[in-house]
Amino acid sequence: MSWHSSITEAELLAKGVAGVEIDGLRIALYALEGEVFATANICTHAFALLSEGHVEGGCVECPLHQGLFDIRTGKAQGAPVTKDLATYPAKVEDGIVWVDTEARAMAAEAPAAAAVIAQRSDSRRLVIAGAGQAGAETARAARAEGFGGEIVLIGAERHPPYERPPLSKDLLLGRTTLAEAHVFEPGEAERLGIALRLGTAVTAIDREAQRVTLGDGSELDYDLLVLATGAGARRLKLPGTEDTPVHYLRDADDAERLGPALRAARQVAVIGGGFIGLEIASAARALGKRVTVIEAQDRLLTRLLPAEAGEFLAWVAAQNDVALHQGTGVAAVSSEGVTLGDGTLVAADLILAGIGASPNDALAREAGLPLGRAGGIRVNAQNRTADPAIYAVGDVAASCDEITGAEARTESWQNARLSALRAARSMLGLPLEAAETPWFWSDLFGGTLQIAGTPGPDLATVRRDGEAPAFFCLDAAGRVAAVIEFGDPELLRLGRRLIASGQPVDPARLGDPDIELSLIEDDDMKMLPIEKRFTWPASGLDRVPDWVYTSREIYDREIERIFHGPTWNYVGLAAEVPEAGDYIRTNVGPTPVVMVRDHDGGINVFENRCSHRAAEFCRELRGNAEEFVCPYHQWSYDLKGNLAGVPFRRGVNGEGGMGPDFNPENHGVRKLTVTQRNGAVFASFSEEVESFEDYMGEEMLTDFDTVFSGRKLRVLGHYRHTLMGNWKLYPENLKDPYHATLLHTFLVTFGLLVAGNKSAMIVDPRGRHSTMASAKSDGATVSAENKAEMRAYRDGMVLEDPRLMEFYEEFDSPWSVTMQVVWPGLIVQREMNTLGVRQIVPNGPNEFTMVWTMFGYEDDDEEMTRHRLRQGNLMGPAGFLGLEDNEAIKFVQDGMLNSTGGEHLVALDPKVPAGTSNTLISEAAIRAMYRHWRQEMGL
Amino acid sequence: MSTMTKDAPVFDGDSRAARREACVAVEEFNADYCAVLDDGDLMDWPDFFTEDAFYNITSRENFDHGRPVGLVYCEGRGMLKDRALAIAKTSMFGPRYLRHYLTNTRVTGIEADGTICATVNYILIETLAELPEGRLHQAGRMIDRFVPQPGGGLLLSSRIAVYDTLLVPNALVLPV
Repeated sequence: MSWHSSITEAELLAKGVAGVEIDGLRIALYALEGEVFATANICTHAFALLSEGHVEGGCVECPLHQGLFDIRTGKAQGAPVTKDLATYPAKVEDGIVWVDTEARAMAAEAPAAAAVIAQRSDSRRLVIAGAGQAGAETARAARAEGFGGEIVLIGAERHPPYERPPLSKDLLLGRTTLAEAHVFEPGEAERLGIALRLGTAVTAIDREAQRVTLGDGSELDYDLLVLATGAGARRLKLPGTEDTPVHYLRDADDAERLGPALRAARQVAVIGGGFIGLEIASAARALGKRVTVIEAQDRLLTRLLPAEAGEFLAWVAAQNDVALHQGTGVAAVSSEGVTLGDGTLVAADLILAGIGASPNDALAREAGLPLGRAGGIRVNAQNRTADPAIYAVGDVAASCDEITGAEARTESWQNARLSALRAARSMLGLPLEAAETPWFWSDLFGGTLQIAGTPGPDLATVRRDGEAPAFFCLDAAGRVAAVIEFGDPELLRLGRRLIASGQPVDPARLGDPDIELSLIEDDDMKMLPIEKRFTWPASGLDRVPDWVYTSREIYDREIERIFHGPTWNYVGLAAEVPEAGDYIRTNVGPTPVVMVRDHDGGINVFENRCSHRAAEFCRELRGNAEEFVCPYHQWSYDLKGNLAGVPFRRGVNGEGGMGPDFNPENHGVRKLTVTQRNGAVFASFSEEVESFEDYMGEEMLTDFDTVFSGRKLRVLGHYRHTLMGNWKLYPENLKDPYHATLLHTFLVTFGLLVAGNKSAMIVDPRGRHSTMASAKSDGATVSAENKAEMRAYRDGMVLEDPRLMEFYEEFDSPWSVTMQVVWPGLIVQREMNTLGVRQIVPNGPNEFTMVWTMFGYEDDDEEMTRHRLRQGNLMGPAGFLGLEDNEAIKFVQDGMLNSTGGEHLVALDPKVPAGTSNTLISEAAIRAMYRHWRQEMGL
Repeated sequence: MSTMTKDAPVFDGDSRAARREACVAVEEFNADYCAVLDDGDLMDWPDFFTEDAFYNITSRENFDHGRPVGLVYCEGRGMLKDRALAIAKTSMFGPRYLRHYLTNTRVTGIEADGTICATVNYILIETLAELPEGRLHQAGRMIDRFVPQPGGGLLLSSRIAVYDTLLVPNALVLPV
């Protein structure tokens, strides 16, 4: 023990946190709830004094990058800090704070992980190609998350895995060493059972055999493969580059070469005004060198930063005596320096190019993995590639947004770490954590620039001049999308809160340094916007959150955006209204409408809601009328929905009545856009909706036209029933071929569908419509293997009356059964010869009504009609199959209503992210439906 | 499938007394019928029907408009047996109690061959584990034709259940 006195207790109590130097150690002292604590004062992440940080909730937040440490234990609380702080015993005696400078032993590292390795609880082998930060973090995260198999980390460099940010910063200046930047602590890789194979690279992937080939010719089988091959510096190709040495900075060897060269140089020319170029310019200035930065664009970082921030950065560089050439290309390099496009010679004895990096995706390309449009390996929200056994992390991964299709490749310390974590959790089947706000930092000219959020050159920008200037990017709705600060990390902290809150801000207040930022969002009445309250699980489409099915607010948005949006909604059959004046009461989504044939022969659809007092005026399910009269005040409407008569419109004896401004033309009921396809009638609240043919697309239209071929329909009757579940569970049920043989024992028992049948789950390119199709087997037998999987299967049962299952070929289609979903609310049923449409009428989030219309064709003979009726026993509210689906849907809703915050797993068939699959053991069609739903809902 | 009306020709056997006697027989029959559906073995249910019996459950909406479709539509005892088997052995549905009440029996005619034409009102009460208070599942009327059997007793040659409660709550699991 080595106790030393420091400051007085009174001083510490007054400050809360104080920095002291004792025995050559920089120590931070804290007063917390009447006790004193001591930790190392230097952040384990980058050089900053924690005593200048922010204390809250028993933690200290580093002023530089907001790393958080537990004051009592020193424990690092997550990104960006990963290494714990040293802690020291502290006490108060006679009003003085005493510290024992012999640090407490660090807490023993993850015993759980060690136990896992000892047991080797998993026979799988995880191979990680690329031993940079992302690769190493993947290995570490896989262990931390419980992966018990073998881990092999393969890296081309001879160095152990290291973080790259110091390469262009303190390492160049000799202020730190590569060892300080190592990802693993000494002994950590061994302790975690991570086999490092350094100095060799993966040269080929055999996906079929799940085997990689290494540079030394050896081969290695994998169960899981992570590609962390990073990015390489883009090379200059100019006259002179073959003879003149040009430096690049990407890896440790580059940095080892550049450091001494920089010291020896007199004049440095940096080609490229990006962060790498500016950091090196900054390092060169710190060494007292003359520096010129040459940027081909008109300003710095044009693709990333808004103009104001880029211009400010240029100003900072100029203040630090960096000569800046913007808007000039480079023509040649030589031993004398750099010749610019306009002929100017920038004299230099050291030339460095920082002109971006290109992803090392050749390995993946040769293995046939899909790449991003701008290079990089395409991955989903879980960092999984198109091959379910292969992930890609870090700089090489181009993540593709499942909803918008947008691709992004991010080269940052944060992304290396988070993508590693996502991949590790995903390969272990764990849910992902919510996405973090993107964060980036760069150390420039003695200060630090930090960016939180996603800035864009085209976003409106607000400058705020406080201790140091900061720039806020605002999106179209006036919400903070990003903050860029130049030395006031408190602004970054508050900016992150503004980004998270999603509230529109007043630009004038945001830019006024006299108004505290923390007050801008401090409005008691604030209501978080819907997309902030309902956030999809970070794992992506293979999870569906319960709120999709249970929230009233989501339901209301569905009515507005889907049922009342640019969709075609089935309302009835033309055969139900054969004569002029024939009408039926029907619905578009939940909204009551009337479908009526007028005297011109056209079919009109309008809202069943009097424009006077909202009364649902048409009460009969069907009938024939010359006009519609609202019973309440006798307002009348013609068969097109025009207001025809208003009783006492002119008043009585010149008293009362409507004012002179009343124009009946403006007060008809709301009319919908109507279209027909071979006897099926659809309506839309949208006037801009595309044609029905375009809405369906060619493939879906073919299935639709098989039933609606133009043959005249004969209506056989209706079923109506309520289902105690969310309406979307019904289309999902018909996009879920997985359930068919498992739930519907009847199908299997009587040979209508067995797992080996020819069948398909076809989805339209936009993911909304679909056809589940199968071809009746001819006495096919079920293999023993399949039978065991289908627990419901029973041998030896036969129908007394096999007419139920007879199939009369009457359609030009390879399928005997098609169940087609026409988004959002129609199902067209062709179950052998029993035909019908099912219309979904939602009644709130937890219930919907289904209206079935069963039909045949006018030219059916009596036996065919009876056959259709007999076969109808399969479907409907009492159908052998139908009743089971109704029950299953109810069970699903029950499961959600009695729990909170849950989510569904729809992860079958990961090879098909969303869309048509060639296996029935798939949920790709459900994922496709939710991709479309999320696009429509903006969620 | 035709129903007898008051205007139908009256045969010798169709007297007030005969109808009263038939009414008692029909009520006895229906009491047994309900007992089988409510608490008995579903596989016994087809035995209440003749070999060529017709059985249909349809909404009043369909019936009144001459639409032939049925929630259940069976031609012949074989189809009834198939339904009983399918429900009993293959169908998945939540546990429930169903109780049938058949009341207001009216014999509307007795045909020359002895066939009794009758109507009866019915209600079906359904009680689910999660709905222990129970609920009305269907209310309607049966339009029936009974054939007297050589050894005594009746069998249904036709039963059409027409329900007024147009909206079926979720699913109709058992026959009415």
